[in-house]
Amino acid sequence: MAADTDARWVPIAVSADIPNGTVVPARLPTRMIAVWRAASGDLYANADRCPHRGMRLSHGFVRGQTLSCIYHGWRFGSDGACQKIPAHPAVEPPNTINCGPLPMTEANGVVWGAAVSPAVAPDQFTGHNALRSLVIAASVDAISSACKGRRVDGTIRAQLGGQNTILLMNDYGSGEVQVIALVPSGISAPNGMKVSTALEVLRRTAEGMGDAA
Amino acid sequence: MTTAAVRNAWYPVGLLSGLSLDGKSSLLLGEEITVFGSRDGVPEVESGGRALPVVQRFGHLWTSLGYPGKDLFTIPEADHPDRTLVDVGVVRVKCSPLRAVENFLDIAHFPFVHTDILGAESHPEVRDYKVEIRDEVDEVWATKVEFYQPQAAKSAGGGITTEYMYRVPAPTCCVLYKTCPPRPGEWDVIALFVQPLTEDLCDVWPWMALFDEDSTLTELIHFQQLIFVQDRSILENQIPKRLPLDPAMETPTRADLTSVAYRRWLKRQSYTYGAQLVAE
Repeated sequence: MAADTDARWVPIAVSADIPNGTVVPARLPTRMIAVWRAASGDLYANADRCPHRGMRLSHGFVRGQTLSCIYHGWRFGSDGACQKIPAHPAVEPPNTINCGPLPMTEANGVVWGAAVSPAVAPDQFTGHNALRSLVIAASVDAISSACKGRRVDGTIRAQLGGQNTILLMNDYGSGEVQVIALVPSGISAPNGMKVSTALEVLRRTAEGMGDAA
Repeated sequence: MTTAAVRNAWYPVGLLSGLSLDGKSSLLLGEEITVFGSRDGVPEVESGGRALPVVQRFGHLWTSLGYPGKDLFTIPEADHPDRTLVDVGVVRVKCSPLRAVENFLDIAHFPFVHTDILGAESHPEVRDYKVEIRDEVDEVWATKVEFYQPQAAKSAGGGITTEYMYRVPAPTCCVLYKTCPPRPGEWDVIALFVQPLTEDLCDVWPWMALFDEDSTLTELIHFQQLIFVQDRSILENQIPKRLPLDPAMETPTRADLTSVAYRRWLKRQSYTYGAQLVAE
């Protein structure tokens, strides 16, 4: 399993799954993170834990350009700094209170996160866009074998639902892999649905292979 | 970790009104126990062929895996004959028993977790209150706690500033005294009795002694269960699972002084079951 401190981009979500004003949980190989999109459309990521009482921030709420914890309403800005403690409205929160912002970026409809800011941008997949994300309880080898795919630079290239599909891998290291599927840009909704159905078949096949893969 | 303080404490293991003559299996501190009702005598609790001590109080059966040096605490205020005693039942929560108690001691979450019931986002301020560890009774007390509540109780008609007192008479039990809308001068009593099944799983037995002549028992139970289900969504999502006794791991403010005292009191008596002493 890769160390969390690796300065490398990990595919963690599909951009379209995080509308403006929402927060979702996501994972880097060894830590849970909260990914949220401000009202402006800007996307941010930080540790999925409020420094106050340890509540998961992915259960919180986004207003304007801030993320608030659902437990006590502590409000954090895009730099991770705590801006407001509602129980003490007159108190300016000390700048030591921070929810740990993490690097993230978007490309091809994919959200990429990292524990440490990588020196280079994530790989580009010109002509392809993210279709959906799914978690498969199998190894990358089993997934690759189940779709008769070709391994290219950490991705799997396969024909799924009649489309040239690129599968990005986020290996949780716990027997589960998050797979983000990219399909040719501009394919029709019915064709996208065929790929989605093929991904479900792939999941069942890969999970059924067990250790035999 | 199972210290003497942990083994010798009293724990709730069932409602007296809900015991089974055939025996019911349960867990206490990770050990299997069987709780037996009795048609005419005293209920029994058994663990590994050994009969455990029992006490019947507050509508619940209590036991201990060790040898309790003192009697189970009492709640004299709850003895008033006009009070409605409410056995709320049991709520299983995947959390540390200590986190469940600490959440009960916290008022700052009302506007966000019990929105427009126990708190309102427009009134989130927690004013200073008094906290002390009363050495003579070995209990944690918080007094002069005031909070604005849109609907403080089933019997409250609208928004009022409620006054609270909190009492921790045992490591996994807490008692809340709050302004009683129909009887100024008296306190409603709401208690939380927590049965630690394991370090990160517990059965919570809420119990109430209220002055409320208008609500049915079912309404009172539903109100309290709604509140507790809202709390459960928090309790099952805190990291780490076990309550950190190391102050550096979390960030308390003045509103959290009850929890600060509670953690200090647990540490002082080496009550570490469901707790985490150092950062992992």
